[in-house]
Amino acid sequence: MPELELDLTVNGRRITRHVDPSYRLLDLLRDDLALTGTKEGCGAGECGTCSVFVDGKLFKSCLMPASKAQGTTIETIEGLSRPGELTPVQRAFHKTGASQCGYCIPGMVMAATSALRENPAAGIEEIKERMGGNICRCTGYTKIFEAVEIARDVIAGTLPETALNPELTKTSYIGHNTRRLDAPSKVSGRLKYAGDMEMQGMLHMQVLRSPHAHARISRIDTSKAEALPGVHCVITCDDVPGEDGFGVFVHDQPIMARGKVRHVGEAVAAVAADTVRIAREATKLIAVEYEPLPGLYDPEEALRPGAPVIHDYAADNVVKHIPLRKGDIETGFAAAELIIEERFSTQQVEHAYLEPEAGIAYVDHDDVVTVISPSQNITHHRHMLSTIIDKPINKVRFIMSPVGGGFGGKEDMIYQGMLALSAMKSGRPVRLVFTREESIMASAKRHPSRTSYRMGLTKEGRITAVEFSMLSDGGAYGMSSEGVMRKAAILSCGPYEVENIKVDTTVVYTNNTPSGAFRTFGGMQAQFATESMMDMAAEKLGLDPFEIRRRNMMKAGSRTHTQQTLNSASIDRVLEAAETASRWEAGPPNVRGANRSDLDGPDTRQPCTLGARFNEARHQIEKAKVAS
Amino acid sequence: MKRKMRGRGVAASWYGIARTATIDRAGAWAELDDGGTAKVLTGVTEIGEGILTLLSQVAAEELGVKPEQVTIGDNDTARSPEAAHAGATRQTYMIGNSVALACREAKARLFDEIAQAWEVPVEDLRSFDGFLWAESTNKRITMEEAVALCKKRGVVPVGSGSFTAHGTGLDPVDGHGSPWQAYVFGTQVAEVEVDTITGEVQVLGIWAAHDVGRAINPRGVEGQIEGGVVQGLGQALMEDYQTSEGHPVTHGFAKYILPTSLDVPQINSVIVEDPDPLSPLGAKGIGEPSLIPTAPAVMNAIYDAIGARIRDLPATPERVLAALHEKRRADAQTA
Amino acid sequence: MLTCDTYLMPTSLKEALEAWAAAPKGSRLVAGATDILPWAREGRGGDVHLPSMIDLSRVTELCGYEVQGDRVRLNANVVYQVFLEDKTLIRLLPNMPYCAAWFADDQIRQQATLVGNIVNASPAGDGIPPVLTLNGEIELARLDHGAVASRRMPVSDFITGPGRTEMAPGEIATAVILDAMEGYGGSFQKVGLRRSLVISAVCCTALIKTGDDGRIIEDVRLALGGIGPRPIRLRDIEEMLRGRQMTSELVAEASLKPAEMVASRSRVEYRRAVTSGFVEAAIEDALVTLGAPKPEPDQRETLHA
Repeated sequence: MPELELDLTVNGRRITRHVDPSYRLLDLLRDDLALTGTKEGCGAGECGTCSVFVDGKLFKSCLMPASKAQGTTIETIEGLSRPGELTPVQRAFHKTGASQCGYCIPGMVMAATSALRENPAAGIEEIKERMGGNICRCTGYTKIFEAVEIARDVIAGTLPETALNPELTKTSYIGHNTRRLDAPSKVSGRLKYAGDMEMQGMLHMQVLRSPHAHARISRIDTSKAEALPGVHCVITCDDVPGEDGFGVFVHDQPIMARGKVRHVGEAVAAVAADTVRIAREATKLIAVEYEPLPGLYDPEEALRPGAPVIHDYAADNVVKHIPLRKGDIETGFAAAELIIEERFSTQQVEHAYLEPEAGIAYVDHDDVVTVISPSQNITHHRHMLSTIIDKPINKVRFIMSPVGGGFGGKEDMIYQGMLALSAMKSGRPVRLVFTREESIMASAKRHPSRTSYRMGLTKEGRITAVEFSMLSDGGAYGMSSEGVMRKAAILSCGPYEVENIKVDTTVVYTNNTPSGAFRTFGGMQAQFATESMMDMAAEKLGLDPFEIRRRNMMKAGSRTHTQQTLNSASIDRVLEAAETASRWEAGPPNVRGANRSDLDGPDTRQPCTLGARFNEARHQIEKAKVAS
Repeated sequence: MKRKMRGRGVAASWYGIARTATIDRAGAWAELDDGGTAKVLTGVTEIGEGILTLLSQVAAEELGVKPEQVTIGDNDTARSPEAAHAGATRQTYMIGNSVALACREAKARLFDEIAQAWEVPVEDLRSFDGFLWAESTNKRITMEEAVALCKKRGVVPVGSGSFTAHGTGLDPVDGHGSPWQAYVFGTQVAEVEVDTITGEVQVLGIWAAHDVGRAINPRGVEGQIEGGVVQGLGQALMEDYQTSEGHPVTHGFAKYILPTSLDVPQINSVIVEDPDPLSPLGAKGIGEPSLIPTAPAVMNAIYDAIGARIRDLPATPERVLAALHEKRRADAQTA
Repeated sequence: MLTCDTYLMPTSLKEALEAWAAAPKGSRLVAGATDILPWAREGRGGDVHLPSMIDLSRVTELCGYEVQGDRVRLNANVVYQVFLEDKTLIRLLPNMPYCAAWFADDQIRQQATLVGNIVNASPAGDGIPPVLTLNGEIELARLDHGAVASRRMPVSDFITGPGRTEMAPGEIATAVILDAMEGYGGSFQKVGLRRSLVISAVCCTALIKTGDDGRIIEDVRLALGGIGPRPIRLRDIEEMLRGRQMTSELVAEASLKPAEMVASRSRVEYRRAVTSGFVEAAIEDALVTLGAPKPEPDQRETLHA
């Protein structure tokens, strides 16, 4: 392969390298120069985890062919400060708690640094715009903005440097804003996530995934892939020595497709090779014969008699149905003076943690099969893997690497099994790093939901009965579906005491991308419906939305929807706190936005009108005019 | 109608802490180490929520050292006790309490030895921020000296802790049961501006009041609320994973749209503390519950602004505009 | 994953044209390269292998811009960020800063070129509607018996459909030549699913010049993007407005027309609805940059009612 000669300066050091002409600047930094503080979150210029300075301007290094860096001066997160030191921007991030999982943070620090270098006096709107190319999934950006404003003022000398110091305590560390212990390693890019780790002799894995939503596999021929120079092993379900199957509640998912595929992107085979590129080539040499089967793409279709069956054990395609019955809804509706019936739906949602799935597996000197990965559930994973590879529990070891965002999406063992099998088969450490697209197609999503809701109320606004029915698409595998339906049912009717309820939550198999655990585990979908209903009822009854909630809220001694008696319920306190804090103007929710007096307070932001950098300049001119 | 219409909405919520409808458990080991430092080992690590910092605060408080003197061991099924999974809003509650219990045991070992050496009642001993002293005496040493004295007496101050949360399963017929022993509640108000030309919604303010039991790190709690609100906002307004006959349509971040810095409202967090009576720390949790009220509060605010009810998420500009036009048609018919 | 056998960085136009002529079939020209790398990924182009990539970013003749009388010649390597930062261009191309503020993000704007955006000819390309209002002409160079030859054509003719242009084999786009519009007010409206790094569902741009009293519309130029196979100039509306006294009624009247021009294959109803409002808003915002007061929203409401 012809090579490209590059001569550039990186973090103050002159570098000459011969590299693959296909290299991006990101590859040069991470793979050749071991500067792994620069991350690859999406590979398509959409997230900013790879931002670096090139000749003083900030660029996304995943969008820059390495050749473009010829002769330039590059500054990465590692070059911002000397080891052991932090810049004011980094110290401010540490101070405010601006890093959570930390995966976006090197890019964020770079973007903040760039914003303040471009305009040391930038206002918050301009800072936000200048940082608009960097995505954070954990923090909600708020502590990041706070950090950049503190750093700006410290650099400008309008705020003393002591503003960056930790808060002191004389009495207790409980209730104290102790600075995050992990922040220095995150703001400096030093923390190694699984995809940043390397081991001696490490191979690279790539996965062949199903192009079909539902198909029988009649044959897999791996011989051509195995013959490709640089390939160490190819694995399929036939390499599983024990009892195949994983999942959170039901072990219905094989490590790699067994006999048939049930969704697009399901793993069919995997290759471990000397380089990612060879492994990728090899996956294309694996011949798979598929016989397409009729697919199921709608949860309502899944329940129809005669619908295609996705899993043999569940002929009705139902993964789980959770019923709650309390009191008698007929009596409750008979007592109602107002009955509202509505339907709601929520979409499938991607976790979008900035760190794509990654891991390394190896077999250690004691024959312990070891997997390092950002798994949210290493305890359960080792149980399942020990059965799958037929080894005692103490011969299976899971190490949880720093997790670059999880939100429930890293609870499923969707790739660790493949890593373990290939390490066992090749005798070498093997690393797999998902691409963003692979992460999106292969990992579970938030369950989409369709909810039918019927609520009866007295004219005083007391709920007399609720009939609630939710149908959810679980996709191709069970994963956390059962638990999600349970939580959705338990929380369904919200923090209100209702004497008569009938709640059903049902999740079915389809050939869509699987749904699984996602922050709130069904609680969000159910309560979106309930809280919409509460406002609709309040409008009809002419009640303030806080008032209708108070008239129904749970109290100490209330019986929940599952008939548990509560010892305490703080709903009264949070209602009051939100009402006071927001300076809420009381009144029914009857489209009174145009006449409210509580809008546009100092605790809101200004609407974004793009172009803050010249809008602000114009604003200054106008102010000057007025002053003169 | 003006181009930009504003409105406000509210939504309340509730949530259970730790694993659902089952017994939950977590274990931890603690050791007061040389130099007055501490080691804590437990089977769970950071997923970004700040658990390591929180555990170091809990250990520091329980043992009498500084948080930065606490080392939290790697999370490793072969080297650390089981703490189960990182999820279910269980980290503070389950791991925090198990670490507190482990530290209490380690400290009790240390205090027993010091009390004997000093010939004072053990109840009179206190430790904080790197010092150990006996109340109403002038006896005061550093934790480094205290650990050395304890070890000289032949005792390594170690402890272990296991914390249990007692949930019960649901009845298969009527669903009765006690899924959690601790509940939290939250309420959020949203203020929005709706562009009636484009249907675009900007969320300008969120007031988020959440009960967390006890805020061990208030800034960390705010961080969880802010992150939850913005994820909730993403689901409310733009995020939508779509497939066509099972084939993903939203492959990457160019199609799967996430909130950026320009979409974030000013978030005003109010931390409410209703301590949990069943656990040593009194803290409950905030990771998941902070997300729940955001989307309904925003939909209620959109309704307040333009009178259009969005029942199907997300409220994209296209959906909002369609709902607004539908409302105008309906209003015209009734007029 | 994008792979290539060779990556060339010519430094003169002649060298670039020679390399392009000699490049094996399937090779590609790149400028900023911000489109091709995201394209070579799963769900879009998949793994892409190119025999040769010819990077134009160091071709001397393609760098910088020149003011030529009442025209501005932007060479092909001019990136979007320049429209936010260069005082001369801000003065001469009054709608470009507002367009650039909406284009991608600060980082991509350092790398992505306006000419690249034109050549890609996306129906939603944010830079194209302003170029149409600026009467943009594209300059295309080729080798003619070993010498560099070039031709020019209006961008409105150059772009023939989604991703389709009149570019001939062997040609390289070297510049776009625009009207200098000093004294005009400019604006840009856009809607997508968020405000940063997002593809337009609809965008609209305006350039406007008023008489000394600020009331007579001396000249106005309008264009829309995201509404069909390619962005379009709204000449009939411009005609209707030119020379007329500025009134809210007139602007409202003008805004009713463009909905008919929406020819997208999807989300037609939405795009039509937005388009009407956008034309009105684009005119108003452009007037505001000339110092006109922001119209009272309630007045508009009564007008529409």
